[in-house]
Amino acid sequence: MRPYAYRRPTTADEALSTVGSNERARYLGGGTNLLDLMKEDVERPDTIVEVSELDYRSVTANDNGSYTIGGMLNNTDTANHPAIRQHYPLLTMTMLAAATEQIRNMATNAGNLLQRTRCPYFFETSMPCNKREPGSGCGARNGFNALHAIFGWSDACVATNPSDMNVALAAIGATVIVRQPGGGERRIPFGDFHRLPGDTPERDNTLEAGELITAIELDPPRFARHYYYAKVRERNSYAFALVSVAAGLELRDDGIIASAGLAMGGVAHKPWKLTAAEEYLRGKAPGPDVFEAAAERAMADAMPLEENEYKVEMGRRTIVRALTQAFERTA
Amino acid sequence: MQATKEPRVEIGKAIDRIDGKLKVTGRAKYASEFAVEGVVYAQGINSTIAKGRITGIDAAEAEKQPGVIKVITHRNALPLATPDAERLKLDTKSIAPVLQSDRVNWYGEWIGVVVAETFEQAQYAARLVRFTYAKEDAKVDFAQDAGYVPEPKLDYARGDVDAGMAAADERVEVTYRTPVEHHHPMELHAVIAEWKGEELELHMSSQMVNDNNTGVADTFKIPKKNVRIIAPFIGGGFGSKLQAQEHVMLAAMAAKITGRPVQFTVSRQQMFTNTGLRQENLQRMRLGATRDGVLTALVHDTTSHTATNKEYQEPCGAASKMLYKVPNNKVTHRLVPINLPYPWAMRAPGEATGSYALECAMDELAWKLNMDPVEFRIKNDTQVDPSNDKPFSSRLMAECLRVGAQRFGWADRPREPRSRREGNWLVGYGVSVGSRQSPLQQSAARVRVMRDGRKLTATVQTDATDIGTGTYTILAQTAADYLGIPVEQVTVELGDSRFPISPGSGGSWGAASFTNGVRSACLKLREEVVAKAGKGAEDARPLAEIMDDADLAEHAAVATAKPTEAFKNHSVYSFGANFSEVWVDADTGMFKLKRILTVGAAGTILNPKTAYSQVLGGLVMGLGMTFTEQSHVEKQYGNFITRSLADYHVPVNLDLADVQVVYLPENDQIANPMGVKGIGELGICGVAGSLANAVFNATGKRMRDLPITPEKLLTTEVEPGLARR
Repeated sequence: MRPYAYRRPTTADEALSTVGSNERARYLGGGTNLLDLMKEDVERPDTIVEVSELDYRSVTANDNGSYTIGGMLNNTDTANHPAIRQHYPLLTMTMLAAATEQIRNMATNAGNLLQRTRCPYFFETSMPCNKREPGSGCGARNGFNALHAIFGWSDACVATNPSDMNVALAAIGATVIVRQPGGGERRIPFGDFHRLPGDTPERDNTLEAGELITAIELDPPRFARHYYYAKVRERNSYAFALVSVAAGLELRDDGIIASAGLAMGGVAHKPWKLTAAEEYLRGKAPGPDVFEAAAERAMADAMPLEENEYKVEMGRRTIVRALTQAFERTA
Repeated sequence: MQATKEPRVEIGKAIDRIDGKLKVTGRAKYASEFAVEGVVYAQGINSTIAKGRITGIDAAEAEKQPGVIKVITHRNALPLATPDAERLKLDTKSIAPVLQSDRVNWYGEWIGVVVAETFEQAQYAARLVRFTYAKEDAKVDFAQDAGYVPEPKLDYARGDVDAGMAAADERVEVTYRTPVEHHHPMELHAVIAEWKGEELELHMSSQMVNDNNTGVADTFKIPKKNVRIIAPFIGGGFGSKLQAQEHVMLAAMAAKITGRPVQFTVSRQQMFTNTGLRQENLQRMRLGATRDGVLTALVHDTTSHTATNKEYQEPCGAASKMLYKVPNNKVTHRLVPINLPYPWAMRAPGEATGSYALECAMDELAWKLNMDPVEFRIKNDTQVDPSNDKPFSSRLMAECLRVGAQRFGWADRPREPRSRREGNWLVGYGVSVGSRQSPLQQSAARVRVMRDGRKLTATVQTDATDIGTGTYTILAQTAADYLGIPVEQVTVELGDSRFPISPGSGGSWGAASFTNGVRSACLKLREEVVAKAGKGAEDARPLAEIMDDADLAEHAAVATAKPTEAFKNHSVYSFGANFSEVWVDADTGMFKLKRILTVGAAGTILNPKTAYSQVLGGLVMGLGMTFTEQSHVEKQYGNFITRSLADYHVPVNLDLADVQVVYLPENDQIANPMGVKGIGELGICGVAGSLANAVFNATGKRMRDLPITPEKLLTTEVEPGLARR
């Protein structure tokens, strides 16, 4: 590791001022991603500002029935919180499908939103990567891209967002609450938080310099009864998704779908919300044909790369699986 | 089964590891943990091109960092021994010269080392050394090459395979591919090197102390007696620690240059490029049989790769020569030199990968013949090794299959592939045979007994290693029985080159060789005590009483066990059968191992608990080989892009299931006086075949390219023959 300064502020504002305008400063949450990247020489901060113990570690109920989860609360405690288990079991199921117990114990919610891609070109400093080193080129575009994006990629970057939690948040709907330098607060709709790569893949999200995520406000719960997270991976635990699907169904008393929450992981630079499929499902009677049709709509504009054509079919099947399970497995 | 006169009190008991407490309390010292006074730290630097020459080195920035003692590259390295061939032939005693030229042979090759006062300083400075290269076009693919025949030839033939194929009613002609795999023992490769005058002392993670001693001495061109290796605990090796690899020489070189003891740890990322790998194999199988299931021909052609500067061939065809009675047989091996790191023996080299190809091909042929694959194998069983006409010392292959089939409920298997479903899961059963040569190597031990009244305590010393397998425990059990004392009164000391010479841990010979060495020393010790006491060999009293008679307070003896004539006149193998039930998600291609049963016949089981652990480990490794493990080569850059254990998927607990291991009783005194055979590698042999055959039974898909990933299951078609039947 390269030498760096370590700071441990006691308030968010102190953290913000510690970072100030230093572009080489990094907030440290659980360290499950940042420290790995520092050991790989990918991240080279000169200052580490530890924020994991700041007082944003609670789950609170809001007046409109929604809940807010603290940015510095760890993934284990979030997933297992009684209110989350009761009202957002899709989030619980999804978060518990991620990584390992040990990693979840350390990883913070804010940090989870900021996970960097697992693209091997990003990790290996001797290979080109526009995300790590803008202008160096994309090694994966015409190289190894079996694990890469099928939606929303650009010639500059075909990486995917590796988070499971992000997929559930995209399906459920959420708002990211951000503390700004100078003391203000900003609310970013979850769908606007992560970016597509375009010509600036070095930017994963729309955070501005120095901003600190303090909380995530979940939309009012809709999928407490009908939900499922289907994660396809190369071993049964502790592997990133080849593709994953978070599905929630809100059913009317007559069994018709009032609303659907549907998002995919492992397929794009951001958690990929399946808006067309969600809209299609609204007002339909749930069943195999409807789920198949929703999946067809979801995958219609897929643009597979040379080595990941399989993700289109795998994605289609996984959507059907997640919807079917969400419908049939009643909590 | 013949009766044994050998004592069996502690031997055969499933006792806990006698070193278990040391390990779980952190007091078992591994190589990098020794507190050597004045130790400094080395960090290796790896090439970032796959082929070319180093044209420039700028170490100025690194050298001026705090704590940095020395930057060593080929420009200031010590001269070491030179290979006598273009490609150094690797064995367990090989030299391992390093930093001897500006040439880069593969991506990740050692090109320098930084020595600093702390680990962090060394690691930081290593990143500041700038190398420039004259890059050349690297070759990292070999599928289109014919390859050359490595010497000594592993090729073999008997009969006329073309005639045999022509005489067959059903044939299988298919190619199986296995990917590059890496050993990844839990303990990283590590060494502390210290020169004490002319003598080099190495605390190192080593499977074979004596052979490593030779490798180090020959590399530095110093007498073997000047090298001392200390390796009391090793956190796994799987073959990667059989030889003293290049980092050992780097550490010793750095220690010599700096005049300080140097600690060198190979990082997990570097263990993809600098400690050997299991090479990718393309195995072309041609099998033929008559309608009633008699094999007429078996051809096994393997093409693989080796490094441009080092040579190793995994003998994939080994089992195909001897496992089945087939008159017409041919086995070939070809190597293509490419710019990847050097291949090297990994658990059951040749047999793990070769048995996948052989046992899948047998399953394919059984299916074509419409025969039960268990019966097909039994039909082609033999008690004589067809490759050398020697009788097997013991061979319970058919019994393993029969007992396994019965216990597993093989009769309830889905007869037609893709015919049984549980919800979203396709259910399949698979079977395979595993075989592994069970050599006995010359092995010596020293045993000392100390008497306190009528109570004896004993210390056993040998340079044998315990790589996590249970060597400490089985040697204590052995000495206890042959001295006639409880196991608690035996102390075992291992892994020091000053102790009597053993063959080290590898090749599944450890347990048999070490225990017979200890047995010999115990018997010699008793003989000497009895003689000193003036008694005859018929005196069967406890050793302590005889010593008391002779007024002996202590006595020590050294002896060596060697293979017998009977051993040399037989083929000595362990056998096993693997039955598995695998579920495959019909939509996503994810797997679930429901249960696996291995029935083994491996002679005397010294300790069922440690033996179970070994076979369990083999099964897990076989499971990884089948479904999850592979190292991806980036074709443009020639590097492995699976570069951590987050990318290189070893199985996790959730991948496992009901695992049962059963040993059939076997008393094989031709193998050795204690009747011990190897099990360390038997556990992995055939596992991939059994699981891949279960996947076929579940899905109707022949998976001829490992690992069997969700992607491959989605894109592989159901076997065309299925529709026909």
